[in-house]
Amino acid sequence: MRALLVEDDATIAEFVGRGLREAGFAVDHALDGDAGLTAALQQSYDVAIVDVMLPKRDGLSLIDELRRRSVTTPVLILSARRSVDDRVRGLQAGGDDYLTKPFAFAELLARVHALVRRATRTPEPTTLTIDDVSLDLLSRRVTRSGKVLDLRPREFALLEYLLRNPGRVVSKTMILSHVWEYTFDPQTNIVDVLVSRLREKLDKPFEKKLLQTVRGVGYVLRDEEKPPS
Amino acid sequence: MNGTDGRQPGPRYFGLRLGLWYATLFVVGSIAIVYLTYYLTAASLAQRDQQIIRAKLADYAAAYARGGGRVLAATVRAEQQAAPERLYVRVVDRGVETVVLSMPEGWDPATLETASARLYDGTLVEVGKSSEPRKALLARFRAVLGVVTFSIVVIALTGGWLATLSAVMPIRRLTSTVRQIIRTGRTDSRVPLAGTNDAIEELTLLFNTMLDRIEGLVTAMRGALDNVSHDLRTPLTRLRGTAELALAGAPDPERYREALAECVEEADRVLVMLNTLMDISEAESGAMQLQREPVVLSEVVDRAVELYRDVADAKGVTLKGDEGSPEGRRSIVSGDRTRLEQVAANLLDNAIKYTPAGGTVDVAIERDGLDATIVVRDTGTGIPASELPRIWDRLFRGDASRSERGLGLGLSLVKAIVEAHGGTVGVASEPGHGSVFTVTLPSITRL
Repeated sequence: MRALLVEDDATIAEFVGRGLREAGFAVDHALDGDAGLTAALQQSYDVAIVDVMLPKRDGLSLIDELRRRSVTTPVLILSARRSVDDRVRGLQAGGDDYLTKPFAFAELLARVHALVRRATRTPEPTTLTIDDVSLDLLSRRVTRSGKVLDLRPREFALLEYLLRNPGRVVSKTMILSHVWEYTFDPQTNIVDVLVSRLREKLDKPFEKKLLQTVRGVGYVLRDEEKPPS
Repeated sequence: MNGTDGRQPGPRYFGLRLGLWYATLFVVGSIAIVYLTYYLTAASLAQRDQQIIRAKLADYAAAYARGGGRVLAATVRAEQQAAPERLYVRVVDRGVETVVLSMPEGWDPATLETASARLYDGTLVEVGKSSEPRKALLARFRAVLGVVTFSIVVIALTGGWLATLSAVMPIRRLTSTVRQIIRTGRTDSRVPLAGTNDAIEELTLLFNTMLDRIEGLVTAMRGALDNVSHDLRTPLTRLRGTAELALAGAPDPERYREALAECVEEADRVLVMLNTLMDISEAESGAMQLQREPVVLSEVVDRAVELYRDVADAKGVTLKGDEGSPEGRRSIVSGDRTRLEQVAANLLDNAIKYTPAGGTVDVAIERDGLDATIVVRDTGTGIPASELPRIWDRLFRGDASRSERGLGLGLSLVKAIVEAHGGTVGVASEPGHGSVFTVTLPSITRL
């Protein structure tokens, strides 16, 4: 997987680049819009992450130019503006997704994976598994070590979302928007409550704990006990 | 002053143009009237002279018919000696002998106006009148008219100048105020009203109203900025403190991990706070973009109840959804669905937070005329009367709420969003027994 990162802020570029490399991407970094355009035209990338405010050529014009030259690389737009208008403008320019700064890296990674998945049209699996857990999307049946787990709809939705991002940390905001389709933060422990209910059914009766909390960041479904150091 | 001043015509030129137009029209009109008067007067004077000549000619012809040349001569002599208007009379006898019967002294034959008649025996009688007096009269008349015309032009120019000055004056005042505002950036200047109740006055009034609005927005934005920077200082201090404390201690990965996690959480709180403060400011100043659509209120409430079901269960609080009147459930309001969901969620969040285990929170939609009201009742700690008016204030945390997690912005956001929708919020509380929060919105459906 090859990713192009067009971002002029060194610190942001540093942590996004490092995070993507840890997630298995080969990352090229461009500091301004023109360099980004040149790179995107010379190489074929699986995904591009483009900041809107860039020196020389702004992000929207970069995307526009790519689309005019029939480069179909999926693009995730990064922007410090959060109004609906800005989002619409970004998507109209040919962006595929939009993320507002400041963002959780977990969310960026999840969106990048979603874009790559959409672009490569990986056939949709009907069963999601991790370790001895299996979730059947058609019959909506969840088993662990052959034992059927009785999950309520929200618990099922949360587990499905975690299974679609195996080994990747998902933030509370991401869970909130995927499980409840709420786009604002109701400032309460709704997600904590749901996670602890799921944990009660998924992990408590078993020896191996799969649903792990990454403090300050979110939750992850991992089949190794300890986070990699 | 910048370059834009040279490009625009400006009120001075506008006034000059207006004045010139006015004066030109006035002068042309006046001259036309004067010329017409003079022409008609001259024509009628000439006509009158001709009538006199012709009348006399007829008289003399009759006299000649009565008694020939002698009687005519006698008549002419008798008449012309006493007459106020003397005439020139000549008789040409059968084309040969000319007899001048009357020729007033000093008359120049070249200026005579004459008429003649041939009598029955071939004698020609000619009567004439000098045009000198008429010409003198007309000359004096012309002089008078000249003075009058000159006066008219002077009055027209002066009047035009004064009139345009008074018309342009309010525009100039407007211009200079605007220029001053542009130069100084101060929006508290106002254009003085002249009290004339005309179109310019209306424009001035509208302009002042616009300034009021702009000033209000600017003040609100400054206030919001002050508040935001103030409100962010506390969490940023915590953030910095946590990081500093970890760095100052002995190197310990576990401690670092702990501190970093706290920093991330604190940063997330800062972000949520910033977004919420921006939302509140935007809603309060009227700058919030509401994506209005018809929204069934019960859908919004049901979704919020569903969202908080597990939280309430976990806390041991009974959450009762809307079982209100069918009229209430059918209520449709014009609003931003996401914002209204935020309102409902925040109300429930607040109610569940302050209701101890074993308590109840129930939600209902009530209908009263055109108003639809979301009522959230809890059996919680209640709010002391002294704190009631302040619970909608930003960052207000009552004594009872200090131990609870939260930003103290939820209710402010509720109020700001509801008021941006043209609705009202209300609260009633009995300490120790619980509180009732209400959100009333104008419904677009009739009962």
